[in-house]
Amino acid sequence: MIGQFLDFLGADLAHYWKIAAAVMPALLKGFVETLKLALVGILWGSFLGGTLGILRGQHIRVATPLIGAYLHLLRGTPFLVQLYVIYFVLPNTGYSWLQWDSQTAAFVSLGIYTSSYVTEIVSGAIRAIPRGQWEGAFALGFNRLKTLRLIILPQSIGLILPALGGVYVTLIKATSIVSVVGIVELMRQADISIVRFPGDILYIYFLAGALYFAFCFPVLMIVGRLEERSKNGRMVRA
Amino acid sequence: MDGPGGIDLSAAIAAPGQSPGAISIDIKSVKKRYPATANSAGIVALDDVSLTVKSGEVVVIIGPSGSGKSTLLRTINALEKIDSGTIVVNGDVVTNKATDLPAFRSKVGMVFQHFNLFLHKTAMENVILPQVAVKRRSRAEAEANAGKFLAKVGMLERANNYPSQLSGGQQQRVAIARALAMNPQVMLFDEATSALDPETVGGVLDLMRELAGEGMTMVVVTHEMHFAREVADRVVFMDAGAIVEMGTPEQVFRNAQSERTRKFLSLVG
Ligand SMILES: Nc1ncnc2c1ncn2[C@@H]1O[C@H](COP(=O)(O)OP(=O)(O)O)[C@@H](O)[C@H]1O
Ligand SMILES: [Mg+2]
Repeated sequence: MIGQFLDFLGADLAHYWKIAAAVMPALLKGFVETLKLALVGILWGSFLGGTLGILRGQHIRVATPLIGAYLHLLRGTPFLVQLYVIYFVLPNTGYSWLQWDSQTAAFVSLGIYTSSYVTEIVSGAIRAIPRGQWEGAFALGFNRLKTLRLIILPQSIGLILPALGGVYVTLIKATSIVSVVGIVELMRQADISIVRFPGDILYIYFLAGALYFAFCFPVLMIVGRLEERSKNGRMVRA
Repeated sequence: MDGPGGIDLSAAIAAPGQSPGAISIDIKSVKKRYPATANSAGIVALDDVSLTVKSGEVVVIIGPSGSGKSTLLRTINALEKIDSGTIVVNGDVVTNKATDLPAFRSKVGMVFQHFNLFLHKTAMENVILPQVAVKRRSRAEAEANAGKFLAKVGMLERANNYPSQLSGGQQQRVAIARALAMNPQVMLFDEATSALDPETVGGVLDLMRELAGEGMTMVVVTHEMHFAREVADRVVFMDAGAIVEMGTPEQVFRNAQSERTRKFLSLVG
């Protein structure tokens, strides 16, 4: 009875090994593509969002409402719709510089998507710093840029970092959506593998999920570390 | 840039080149209106205010809450824009668009009710940073200076504490050291003791008295009538955005001409 069960398990393990060996090269190729999409999206999305967030965090007559409109537009529509607009609709405008291949369209849309979250995080963190910190600096002769760089941003960073971790993980997961414009990333590779091994849907998705997790988890860990470090050397309540 | 002369008071902290008695702050016909917002009607905060402060003089501004004392003080270093009038401080035309405001402000010290120390910096770093970032002093020079002024305000032992580890009175003394380390020509105090525990008020007032004795030009908004009586060269009473009465402490406290002044003084004791 027990011997039978072990035989069965042995046969199963052998089977799982075989499938893994067969699909892993494809999944890893997809994983690299996902990595690329996520990194590009994170990098330029954070740059754009950081810039917009710093502007929006202050009260600047034209910039603040304009950026507000940008945010409402992006946060109020699904990412899929944004991607479609960028890939399918923009080329129809006839401008040659808006004719993007699928990878560029994916980079652009992922970055814009990231920027909408980063903008909110950065502007919220800046606004959370008491007005007196600005005034104290201004009264000493700091200009706006110096005040931001030396006084406001160093105090905001502890609020920004932990929130960024969540956004980056959201973005990594959102890369799975860009397969609809023909990018063969991790999720798409998993789907292709399932066509080859239709009997192992669950297992192949499990492998893909494990790869996503292997990417997201370190991101959360790193951001957590940075957060700790920015807290040390900050206020210690007596 | 500064007044002529260059008589150096031996004990004075005031920038050299200001002769005592020359006009340091000249405020002419200043009007300031806060525009209406969603939850408040517009308000005239300063209604044709004129005031001159001589070098080395201590002017104390008193008056009921909402009378425009803070607004007036804040227009002096252009933290608040004005609608009309002119303000000149030691030759800098504050109200001139071409004036480099950060450079000008670095010559005017301001002490706030809520201290506004940089919360992510120790007391020492609070005093060092503006010297390095604004005055472009070397780190070593700024450090030596910081040590000197923290010692002056009696806070050297707490130099490595963060603001959150200091009492209100201690924070305010660090804030005063931070302002003094910039070698200001003028010091502005906006209710510097109003947010303090009663037992720490005295130390800060003593420090302000000491500065006044050293010849610092000071404009002080306060509710401490004893301080006003004792330290002020001139007392200004403001009400509803206007200067109602102005004179020596003797004139204002003993012999006020306006009924509004007498009423206010009887209320505050
Ligand atoms: N930023 C502001 N926006 C609108 N109204 C203000 C603002 N600051 C002050 N005021 C108003 O201007 C008047 C004068 O205020 P303030 O100068 O702070 O008076 P004080 O310092 O004498 O108490 C008050 O009525 C106050 O409500
Ligand atoms: Mg006030």
